[in-house]
Amino acid sequence: MKAQIDSIKQAALAAIEAASSTQELSEVRVRYLGKSGEMTSLMKGLGALSKEERPEAGKILNIARTEIESALESKFAQAEEREKQARLAAEAVDVTLPGKRPARGTLHPITQVREDIVRVFLGMGFEVAEGPEIESDLYNFQLLNVPKDHPARDMQDTFYVNDSYVLRTHTSPMQARMMTTRKPPIRVVIPGRVYRSDDDASHSPIFHQIEGLAVDKYITMGDLEGCLTAFAQQMFSKDTEIRLRPSYFPFTEPSVEVDVTCAICGGKGCRVCKGTGWVEILGAGIVNPAVLDMCGIDSKEYSGFAFGLGLERIAMIKYGIPNIKLFYENDVRFLRQFNGEVER
Amino acid sequence: MLAPVSWLKDYVDINVTPEELAARLVAIGFEVEGIEYQAKKASLVKTCRIVSVEKHPAADRLRVAQVDIGGSTIQVVTNVPVEGGELTAVALDGAKLADGTVIKKGALRGVTSEGMLCGAEEIGFSAADIEGQTEGDILRFPEGTPLGIDAAVALGLDDVVLDVSVTANRPDCNSIYKLAKEIAVALGTECREPEIGYETAGADVREAVSVEVKNPALCPRYMAACVRDVKIFPSPVRMRRRLRAVGIRPINNIVDITNYVLIEIGQPMHAFDLRYLSGGKIVVRNAEEGEHIVTLDGKDNTMNSSMLAICDAEKPVAVAGIMGGEFSGIQPDTSTIIFESAKFARDSVRRTSRALNLRSDSSARFEKGIDLASQEYGLRRALTLVYETGSGVIGEGVIDVSAAQAKVRDIEFTTAKIGRILGCTVPKKKLIDILFKLGIPVEEKGGKLVAHVPDARSDIEGVNDIAEEFIRVYGYSHVKPTLFAHSGLTRGGVPEDIAFRNRVKEELAALGLNECITYSFTSPTFAEKLRIPADSPLRNWVELVNPLGEALSVMRTVLTHSMLEVLAYNAAHFNRSAALFEIAKTYHPKSLPLTELPEEREKLVIGMYGADADYFALKGVLEGLFAALHVKAGYSRSALPFLHPGRGADITVNGKMIGCLGEIHPDVAEEYGADVRLYAAELDLDALAPECGGTVQFAEFSKYPPVERDLAVVVAEDIPAGELVKAVESAGAAHLSCAEVFDVYRGAQVGEGMKSVAMNFAFASVERTLTDDEIAAEMALILAALETAFGAKIRA
Repeated sequence: MKAQIDSIKQAALAAIEAASSTQELSEVRVRYLGKSGEMTSLMKGLGALSKEERPEAGKILNIARTEIESALESKFAQAEEREKQARLAAEAVDVTLPGKRPARGTLHPITQVREDIVRVFLGMGFEVAEGPEIESDLYNFQLLNVPKDHPARDMQDTFYVNDSYVLRTHTSPMQARMMTTRKPPIRVVIPGRVYRSDDDASHSPIFHQIEGLAVDKYITMGDLEGCLTAFAQQMFSKDTEIRLRPSYFPFTEPSVEVDVTCAICGGKGCRVCKGTGWVEILGAGIVNPAVLDMCGIDSKEYSGFAFGLGLERIAMIKYGIPNIKLFYENDVRFLRQFNGEVER
Repeated sequence: MLAPVSWLKDYVDINVTPEELAARLVAIGFEVEGIEYQAKKASLVKTCRIVSVEKHPAADRLRVAQVDIGGSTIQVVTNVPVEGGELTAVALDGAKLADGTVIKKGALRGVTSEGMLCGAEEIGFSAADIEGQTEGDILRFPEGTPLGIDAAVALGLDDVVLDVSVTANRPDCNSIYKLAKEIAVALGTECREPEIGYETAGADVREAVSVEVKNPALCPRYMAACVRDVKIFPSPVRMRRRLRAVGIRPINNIVDITNYVLIEIGQPMHAFDLRYLSGGKIVVRNAEEGEHIVTLDGKDNTMNSSMLAICDAEKPVAVAGIMGGEFSGIQPDTSTIIFESAKFARDSVRRTSRALNLRSDSSARFEKGIDLASQEYGLRRALTLVYETGSGVIGEGVIDVSAAQAKVRDIEFTTAKIGRILGCTVPKKKLIDILFKLGIPVEEKGGKLVAHVPDARSDIEGVNDIAEEFIRVYGYSHVKPTLFAHSGLTRGGVPEDIAFRNRVKEELAALGLNECITYSFTSPTFAEKLRIPADSPLRNWVELVNPLGEALSVMRTVLTHSMLEVLAYNAAHFNRSAALFEIAKTYHPKSLPLTELPEEREKLVIGMYGADADYFALKGVLEGLFAALHVKAGYSRSALPFLHPGRGADITVNGKMIGCLGEIHPDVAEEYGADVRLYAAELDLDALAPECGGTVQFAEFSKYPPVERDLAVVVAEDIPAGELVKAVESAGAAHLSCAEVFDVYRGAQVGEGMKSVAMNFAFASVERTLTDDEIAAEMALILAALETAFGAKIRA
């Protein structure tokens, strides 16, 4: 019996040694340890032995069986690990192939700039308002200190609907609408579409502005400068400086043009700033007391500042867009760029 | 305006470079849009003398000239028939001509040529504009011209011309003299006055002509003077050069003098030939309705009674302030002239000029506005120039019909008030000094300051204007930035409608769409293209009176049209697919013609085409949007004529129609030039917004496994699947958590005119696992509901 056990054990250990896969090892297990395996048969044969022989033989058989099981187990673990490695190796992908992702949309660059700017002013306590695009002559011009037949009307090429209605030439009529309907303090920014009958390489008959207005008991040119500095630094970079230059708008007095240090060259002078280091971005000023009075706000008690800037211009500077026409062609190769994707 | 530096220097010493001068002008409020160096239009074109000329050995039409360029001699091959001895100009090796051509030393038919002989055009001028030069010829210089100097300098064309942009509030600065005054302030120097000085002789002007102003409101001042024994000749070189530098073509001494005064003093002048002033009368009156005048430009104008005319005893001889009549001008045999120097009301000139479509340098000045002092200044300056140039004998006296007096306005202020406007400290002495230099004397009266503002500064109306005058000279660098230093906090914020729109935009971008922006005006043909019925209110639109063209002439009442144009544009520009949206206004007049503001409604349009685009892709976007907005939309087949008859739906929310979606009818797509299928949806956001729910409310979900059941029923072909789902959802199955259609089958098995709709249901309870009996009972309810509503039978 012992010799027989030994012989089967040796055969089993050899088979385990020879097996190279978990599949083969499983077969070895079945052959030797399975229900009708060779070791199991021997176990069943124990009954045929005498009472004296049985314990000794049983013991030997158990040791042999344990030996086989342990060999199987360790070989199986090795094979399993090897097979896993092989499987993982086979599963390797070319990590440089493109990923799968859902289509991502974009907001128009004008919308993005508009929201960027609005956010800056919300932080300074401004509210947002909008107004009608088809506007009365009264609000678009007269309440802004531009009477009929005034030469300042030549500053803007106006689309007329009739003698009394125009397509608003700026967002400024909302200044008058705010002042005629509200009591100070007023702090508001007014984004929107505006229209001028100008269509050439650098003009679009439709473009966008943001108007800003602050009216309170004691508003100064210094407040305007501080507010616009904060805006420019958040919009462009924290090192951006601004410069005020005297100018003229009928509804502000004093009036200024505001330049910022060129975002492209940092003020050293380049093509964008035409070598001056400064880029003009908006017009502004102290609200003309005549406008306050016309709108029913006592100019002796209150003062204010106002500014108006063109969103296209800011977007062109910010994103390096060379031509205003691109905004309105709506070619998807243009629009898709504004989530950072560039099609080549 | 164009301002030659040499002319400015008549009145102010300028010791800085033109660039520095421009920077100083910008700093005080005058933008300089360009600096033109007359002599730098070309480079390395020098004066020279042709020493000797030989025939070219190999070409009959070429000559070989030895050219003295002052100190050295070069050889030039030329086709100009020079003889030798000429004083002319040569472009040297490396010279750059006005048109950009670079001249290089080289060989012409085997003979070395070291330059090119030049005419006026090569250095950027027209021969007709330069004394003694002939078009097509090389430049000719008088004996005594130094050799080797810049040709333009030798011609006296070495001025620097600034292009100064004068803002509408400073009409006075549209003149050399007033601009020089501003420059003097900017440079901290003094400004000289124009020279006035002449002798008079002969009869008083009143003997030659009488002046009557019938409408002093439109003509506050009219001055006239008389010049007899007029000699007509070309004006002096300097005057002609200056006029050319500012873009005015010299004509003769008298016309040039009026133009010179216009530019120098800013006062428009007119010179009448006395022979054509019938009755020796000048009457300034409103034209009679329908009265005709043929103006100098040959145009026949029909005037109306609101227009001001300068008339003689019988007829109009000029449109006031705009242009003279055809016979009123200066003729070669003119012997007596009457100078007009008047002020006409700017809005009247503006209206008349626009109504007659008649413009001139004069009308441009009058429209901007001139002050009451410059009529006399201009007239006397013109007479001085007549005297200096010997153009005639100046009659005694001047006529001055003046209804208005130049007024000095007093403005009372304090430095504290100025400081409160500017937000900086205002040194009193500096303030008074700056204003004085600007021609605004300031007086101290009992602690207050009083500025005496001259008539010419009609733009200065109050303390804010005084503040501006001060700070533009003092410098904005003195204003330090503050953030509402004297104001309290305010509560900012975004109103609901704008926040709603922003949310819709963000959701659509998240759903993969690109936002676009299109023009608000379009062609009236959009209504035909979209087959909008003749009686539709969408055909009531606002029309522009002065559009950029028919194609941009009406304010749109729908957005779909613009979207289809954008889709077609993209399809035609190599883009295989596009999925776009726009949120914009449409414009709906309440009455026409417009007497009140039209209604502006906020609309959303979505458009797509390409391999992944179809009705359901578009609907998926809308479902995504509605889910994000917490609204449930209903869809029913649409009859809109621009949609595909079988692939279009009207959209309702809470029973309210809010828009449509679908495939664009192929015929309509073709109208837009698209060779792909187009899909579009348009929603009324103003109608949708109030239907959108507030905050999300948490709903408990089941911890137990849901039980699913499938059911296929056979119903009539025309029953929409959406209706079946609705019926299921309202069947009373209390634990139904989800019902979806997953298959629709048509075929012989289910019979003609019928279809099988397969649905999947999920049941769940938040309290326990449901039993088979409970689910069977709820399934029975569902089936009963479908049977009752649609005669549905379980598919065998």
